[in-house]
Amino acid sequence: MGKILIVDDTLFMRTLIKNILFTGGHTIAGEAGDGEEAIAKYQELKPDLVTMDVVMPKMNGIEALKGIKAIDPNAKIIMCTAVGQEQMVKLAIKSGAKGYIVKPFQAPKVLEEVKNVLAS
Amino acid sequence: MSEFEAYRSLFVAESRENHENLVRNMLILEKGGSQEAIDEIFRSIHTLKGASASMGFMEMERLCHTMEDVFQMIRSGSAVITADLNNLLLACSDIIELMLDDVEGGGDSSSVNPDEQVNALKQWISKGAGKVKVESPKSGVIPAVVPDTIAEIIDETDRPRYIIKLKVADDCVMKDIRAMLAIGNLESLGTILSIHPSREDIDEGRFDGSLVLKIASDVGDDALKSAATGTDIASVEITPAQKDEPVTPLKVSEEIIPAESDKKQQAASQDKTREIKNLRVDITQLDHIMNLVEDLVINRGRLKQIAEQNKIKELDEAISTVDRSVSDLQNLMMNIRMIPLNHIFNRLPRVVRDVAQYDGKEVEFVIEGGETELDRSVMDGLNDPLLHLIRNSVNHGIESPEVREKAGKPRKGFVKLSAHRDRDNVIIELIDDGGGINVEKVKSKAVEKGLVTPENATTMTTEQAIEILFLPGFSTADKISDISGRGVGLDVVRRSIESLKGSIRVETTPGKGSRFELLLPPTMAIVDVMIVRINRRRLAIPISSIVEVADYKTGSTHRIGKSDAILLRDEVLEIFMLDDMMGRSEDRDILIVVQYLKRKCCIAVDLVEGKQEVVVKPLSSIIGNTRGISGITILGDGEVVPVLDVNTMV
Repeated sequence: MGKILIVDDTLFMRTLIKNILFTGGHTIAGEAGDGEEAIAKYQELKPDLVTMDVVMPKMNGIEALKGIKAIDPNAKIIMCTAVGQEQMVKLAIKSGAKGYIVKPFQAPKVLEEVKNVLAS
Repeated sequence: MSEFEAYRSLFVAESRENHENLVRNMLILEKGGSQEAIDEIFRSIHTLKGASASMGFMEMERLCHTMEDVFQMIRSGSAVITADLNNLLLACSDIIELMLDDVEGGGDSSSVNPDEQVNALKQWISKGAGKVKVESPKSGVIPAVVPDTIAEIIDETDRPRYIIKLKVADDCVMKDIRAMLAIGNLESLGTILSIHPSREDIDEGRFDGSLVLKIASDVGDDALKSAATGTDIASVEITPAQKDEPVTPLKVSEEIIPAESDKKQQAASQDKTREIKNLRVDITQLDHIMNLVEDLVINRGRLKQIAEQNKIKELDEAISTVDRSVSDLQNLMMNIRMIPLNHIFNRLPRVVRDVAQYDGKEVEFVIEGGETELDRSVMDGLNDPLLHLIRNSVNHGIESPEVREKAGKPRKGFVKLSAHRDRDNVIIELIDDGGGINVEKVKSKAVEKGLVTPENATTMTTEQAIEILFLPGFSTADKISDISGRGVGLDVVRRSIESLKGSIRVETTPGKGSRFELLLPPTMAIVDVMIVRINRRRLAIPISSIVEVADYKTGSTHRIGKSDAILLRDEVLEIFMLDDMMGRSEDRDILIVVQYLKRKCCIAVDLVEGKQEVVVKPLSSIIGNTRGISGITILGDGEVVPVLDVNTMV
């Protein structure tokens, strides 16, 4: 079970992920609404894992991922993605993302991915 | 579906924000726009799509998905936005709004059929795509030529070699990415000597779910296996290989049994305590609480009176404690009911845009002070009058670009809507730099319609002429237009505003434009009043409109025209006796000076009883709106007292 930072620009999605993770027994380290906030929160909270939305205002998920990786090369980041964003996710994987989950989220899938990435 | 029921209201609230953001940026885009606006639109659409898919609202998801495809093309620069496309996209955004209404009402967006829009968008995409190269390969597409063996990287070390056959689960979304992750994990443990399909193929989506690779590594097969295993990996088969054993691609026919993913694992830990920080409350419940608070306020007044009459010290103390709690409760309730004006302001740019386009006008629309808060009940009643005024401004106020140019004005008209708090009132201003109100046209139209006599019309001042605009059945537009007409005139606007205990004023300068000013109370329910007596009957005057209380000496009045006036500190103020309402009284000793906007007048009363907080109840619909009276209130002793409406009286 890990301490997780949730990054998404909508409260709706954050709540959805949060409840899934709660149910799975994880702790929520915090939430961020955009890429810049994600980097700041990562430094502050040092979570075990980050769920990162791709499309966000100010700074998108890929840039935020790179920013976090620059601070902590071992950071475990899961991209939250949707069908149609394959190219973006591939870019994220090449930049060091450890996993991905696809919207609409299915709780078992999300928990499985989180478990696997935490264990890696 | 049902598991998402709890998120419904959150979904609606955020989706509405996204929808507003979408429309706002589409309007920016229409004006020339910027990459930023396109990015914002893309983000909003994308979020709407993701959220609706998560909730299972598939019709909405379908529409948003198609819109996203269009903006993906625009964003990448492979297509440009045209006026037609913009109209189509705005129509789509209207559909989204309807769907959100449906969802809010408990539906799943399927009551709205987006076929027409989706097809139109798809048509546009296919036309646009003629000019652009579209990347078609997706996961599941097998490369046409399957080579028998794959070229190998030379590795001179003596590390053991393994061949790993990996199969991604059939139901996995984005199989190629899953493969990339597994490759990445394996690569951190050794050197991948060869791989099929190639990295390039996988990168470009040419991947059917099966992967074979040869790796040189000394971590052992268990470690390699666990590195390759992960979410959506159906099977991993690992075999030691000879140094020069080639990799043979997996045949599609090869049967691999997918592993059963453990679905039940989460059921055990369902009961976690969660802290809830926000609650959504049905507005009718809030109204009910408000009514109860109002009753409390009335009964507090009654208790105070009883305590005063009977001089019970203990009761006095108890009441003063209750008094504080009730006041706090009341303030709290007021705050809960306050909503920022943006709630209705945000829809207006779209209205302006539509009206302007319909009329062939160019308009720059600016909103200021949308964060000003108003009580929900006031807000509800404000929407329609405001909409009407805005339409009016563009439709009647702003001239066509040609006319404006001739008059030496910029082609683009300017309309500004602003709001701010002024003491106890909220003032909403609507300014346009159009042609202003044509007073002569108003007069002749009024004569034509028999609203005034020709003699009266000629002697009429500009102010009086503007008043005609607010008479029922008056409209200067030559024919009822689709936009601002609909048979609703400014009289309805005024009546709606007055029913909110507000008022409306117009100033106009020919050729320069008009200014509509709405003065609204931030809340309707509870007001501070001064209780006065005339002819032994009581009357409540809102404290917010009282400027001073002065002595009144009969004999110091002057007769001016039909009314009496008094000279008070160099100001001539009209005196209202309110005889028709309260009856004649000979003991008028006190003058209450009231002010509405910049106009002052005074009311002569017999006696001032004191200040009190009261609940104003509207007059029943049988009586209707009565000028001069905004409602009634029940005082502590049960007496029903009218509340004076200074705005309509002055």
